[in-house]
Amino acid sequence: MKRKVIKKLIEKIEGEAELNYTFDKGKIEDVKINFGFYRGIEDILVGKSPKDALVITPRVCGICNHAHLIAAVRAIENGYGSAGLKIELTGKAKQIREFTLSCELMQNHIKWLYLTMLPHLEKYLKLDVTGNHAVKAAYFSTTITKAMAVFAGQWPHSSYAVPGGVTCDPTQLDLMQAHSLLEECIRFFEQVVAGIPLETYLEITSVSSLHTIGGDFGNLLHLLDKSGLAPRGGSHDRFIVFADSFLAASGKSIVTSVSPVDARYVEESEQQGSVAKAVTYKNRLYEAGPLARGMVSKEPIVKNLHKRYKDALITRIFARIHEIGRLLEANRNLLSRIRIDEASCVLEEDMKLYEFEGTGAVEAARGSLIHRTTVVDGRISSYEIITPTQWNLSHGNEQEKGVAVKAMVGSGTEEEADFIFRAFDVCSVCTAQ
Amino acid sequence: MKDTVGRKLRLLWLQSITCNGNTHSFLNHPELFSLLSHFDLVHHPVLESGYSMEELTDKKIPCDILILEGSFIEEGFTKNGVEVSSLVAHYAQRAEYIVSAGTCATFGGIFKQKDPEKISGFCFDGEERTERYEHYAQKLISLPGCPIHPRWLSYVLLMIASGKKVALDSLHRPVELYGYTVHSGCTRNEYFEWKIDAKQFGLKEGCLFYEQGCQGPYTRGSCNKILWNDITSKTRVGTPCFGCTEPEFPKVGLFSTRTNMGIPATMPLGIPRRAYLTLTGVVKSFKIKRFSERLLEYDK
Repeated sequence: MKRKVIKKLIEKIEGEAELNYTFDKGKIEDVKINFGFYRGIEDILVGKSPKDALVITPRVCGICNHAHLIAAVRAIENGYGSAGLKIELTGKAKQIREFTLSCELMQNHIKWLYLTMLPHLEKYLKLDVTGNHAVKAAYFSTTITKAMAVFAGQWPHSSYAVPGGVTCDPTQLDLMQAHSLLEECIRFFEQVVAGIPLETYLEITSVSSLHTIGGDFGNLLHLLDKSGLAPRGGSHDRFIVFADSFLAASGKSIVTSVSPVDARYVEESEQQGSVAKAVTYKNRLYEAGPLARGMVSKEPIVKNLHKRYKDALITRIFARIHEIGRLLEANRNLLSRIRIDEASCVLEEDMKLYEFEGTGAVEAARGSLIHRTTVVDGRISSYEIITPTQWNLSHGNEQEKGVAVKAMVGSGTEEEADFIFRAFDVCSVCTAQ
Repeated sequence: MKDTVGRKLRLLWLQSITCNGNTHSFLNHPELFSLLSHFDLVHHPVLESGYSMEELTDKKIPCDILILEGSFIEEGFTKNGVEVSSLVAHYAQRAEYIVSAGTCATFGGIFKQKDPEKISGFCFDGEERTERYEHYAQKLISLPGCPIHPRWLSYVLLMIASGKKVALDSLHRPVELYGYTVHSGCTRNEYFEWKIDAKQFGLKEGCLFYEQGCQGPYTRGSCNKILWNDITSKTRVGTPCFGCTEPEFPKVGLFSTRTNMGIPATMPLGIPRRAYLTLTGVVKSFKIKRFSERLLEYDK
């Protein structure tokens, strides 16, 4: 069979992407991924006040805007710290930020499950569509973002995290409201997503007990297994996490051995014919995202799945949905620990520093997000944003193919490759900021 | 006029230069699916819809209501090899209504700042009319906001579906949504009336207009009437209003108030400076004890 190139437009991700598949002897040999319009948020920030980044950068992305806010505020706080003004957030401010960020992650994961994974898997397997998945996505995400809005004021595009803490000053009434919205999401997870109590779900550590998962998650695992897709989509099997969070401490994992990372070794480079920049760590490509967090933190069930399937579709997909369960539980604990009599913000209003450089990292839904701000004469002189999807969706370099590209190579059809691609939870707006 | 009797209006959601924020904000509408049941959703960036992106770029989709998201550039942004501007023009010609959803589609918004000469809103460039304005003015409804509130859009859609006329101002914004300022309904109003500024972020007490950059008193929008996520608003959680519904959004220095001799440089909407100064002089001559204390006293 001759070599041929097939061009495909991938829609209903965050934005669109154009994939050029090169087939050789009936198998995909290479893929070129192209994204839409470069919007230049980094350039737009130059000349603005340092804190304007808290308003501008969330507008990189409509679905992970809150992660951008947290990365931006951490970059400023880190910059203040290196200029000599150490900031120690109160427990309350830390817990509230962690809570709102986790809510956004769950919103993301649930939309991916119901708007991307299930409908496309059913389409790929030519099954009848089972009910209205979008209703489920919208119900859960509306409820969980309402819980975060109690503190953040709104979702999308909140700017409630400011250097030194948060702008809100919640009452017990607010905490109760957030708590009851969270409990509603837990109920949804138990009855609709996993079909078993959260507590029982979180006790699962072995691959042999995965069959106890019911609900839509159980159905998804069953379909992946039955269709033979489960072991497909493996990639470099190298993972990276830059920000400490409840889900994982930072680090990188290669052949299951975990070692520390330092954001200074992250390098961005232009890619020919693409508006997205590629990113490497010490010249090597790594996968970012829930699977990376599961591997770096040695989450038992993720590790056990990995032992059997490596970084295949089933492990990657499982790791993302698994985070919903873990975050629901974590958020319950966070809310119960918040003390409203602690200060929300520890910095005085008129605190101004005119020269600093700071880096902020955060674990967003799709992986590590890094912001770097440089301030001269009280204005931003340069701003750098490295998004999770840049790790996963670059073309790669001379030595090796990009993470998602490698995962698609070897597929026999563009439909299979399409599904493998979507399993990375593709966000084109973040990739081409 | 097209014959739309006896069938649902066809809704096409088209994205230009955007972050998808309006799309996701709209997904937060609690009655999303009963709302959408009034329409035939022919294309949407995320939800299942009748026609694919390829059919969209082939200009094959029928459409009665065109929802535009994102700022506009005449050349240089293609989808499936087709200039987005030609897609917008094609569907805008055929639609009965054009709803510009968000500040980007309406005025240009944040992304305009990358290339202010070339990037704008569809019918407005900031407050100025673009050359397209005359052509489309008759069917244009502006919904600025970064992002839009889901209920602002559902109001407009349901008004159209029920054959009612949406009253608009000179920038084509529905008066029922933008006749208010963001300040109306803010829970910090007492502090505004008595000119008590917030001492720092993270407190219930104090108004954010004097120091923290709040633009609520001169920004049009219903954020404190139609609450965000049906529960709260920026100013209610102590975040200043950044004026995201306004043609010049975003300004520089969003967390601090520009002042002239200690008085905010921009007056509340429609208030003469002399009136503002007179009132300020009066209220500042009193010290109200309640406003110097914490709003809520908890038992220690």
